[in-house]
Amino acid sequence: MSDQTGKQMSKEEKDARFEAELLPVLDPLYNFAYRLTLDEDDANDLVQETYLKAYRFFDYFEQGTNAKAWLFRILKNSFINEFRKKSKQPAKVDYSEVEGYYNSEDVEGESGVATTTDMRTESVQDLIGDEVASALNALPVDFRTVIILCDLEGFTYEEMAKILDIPIGTVRSRLHRARNSLKEKLEKYARSMGYND
Amino acid sequence: MESKFTEAYEQSASESGHETNCEKIIKLLDAVVDGEASAEEQIFFNGHIEECVPCFESHQKQKLLKGLVSGHLKRRIVPDRLAFSIKAKIQETTV
Repeated sequence: MSDQTGKQMSKEEKDARFEAELLPVLDPLYNFAYRLTLDEDDANDLVQETYLKAYRFFDYFEQGTNAKAWLFRILKNSFINEFRKKSKQPAKVDYSEVEGYYNSEDVEGESGVATTTDMRTESVQDLIGDEVASALNALPVDFRTVIILCDLEGFTYEEMAKILDIPIGTVRSRLHRARNSLKEKLEKYARSMGYND
Repeated sequence: MESKFTEAYEQSASESGHETNCEKIIKLLDAVVDGEASAEEQIFFNGHIEECVPCFESHQKQKLLKGLVSGHLKRRIVPDRLAFSIKAKIQETTV
């Protein structure tokens, strides 16, 4: 009985430590999962699985070290092993984001809310965001991954190398090719909007 | 004439494996915008773009591109039930 209580206590302590150290990473981890899978349900499953794996291996996690990089690495491995096959193809664009934008415009128009300068600016910002998301989603997953890790999550090249299990030189060259590809897609969009350079 | 000679020289130097300064700058663009360039690389970079308009413009474009992703890509909102569900599954797990 006392053994059981001791075990129970240690599990409670472990759970508390786990939640305190790893759950604050939930928001960036979910965003990463969504940008990899391009699907809310798959992102949900992937994040849950990542936390369960992290829990199983939590004894190997050194307290106070980079929890975010550790979780991102586990999630990336889970994605490659189990989710990659069923995830959406890169060519598919996330039309729900664009759709949401136009629908919200309609609703605002019908309710008679005056469009202030601020709201206009916000709408343009949203539209740029939609275009960036579409261009990013159309990239191959390896390219998408390095751009998200670097530009959205602010990981260093060294952290990215650890998360992705590749040398820093490969991080650099992949990032270079990924950005060139993204630039090409966004320039095509800019030209279609009448910007020549 | 002189600039043509220089271009031709730089072209042949590049083909024989010697990079021009502009080629070196293009390779450094990512490291510079990501704050990963060494002090020496940064000094070389700054010195070159002060004098070279195309490389200066390439740097501006690269900064803009990074800014588009970091500043305009909307973050997905985590479903409310996700944290709750993770906590529940962990509590069920026996180790």
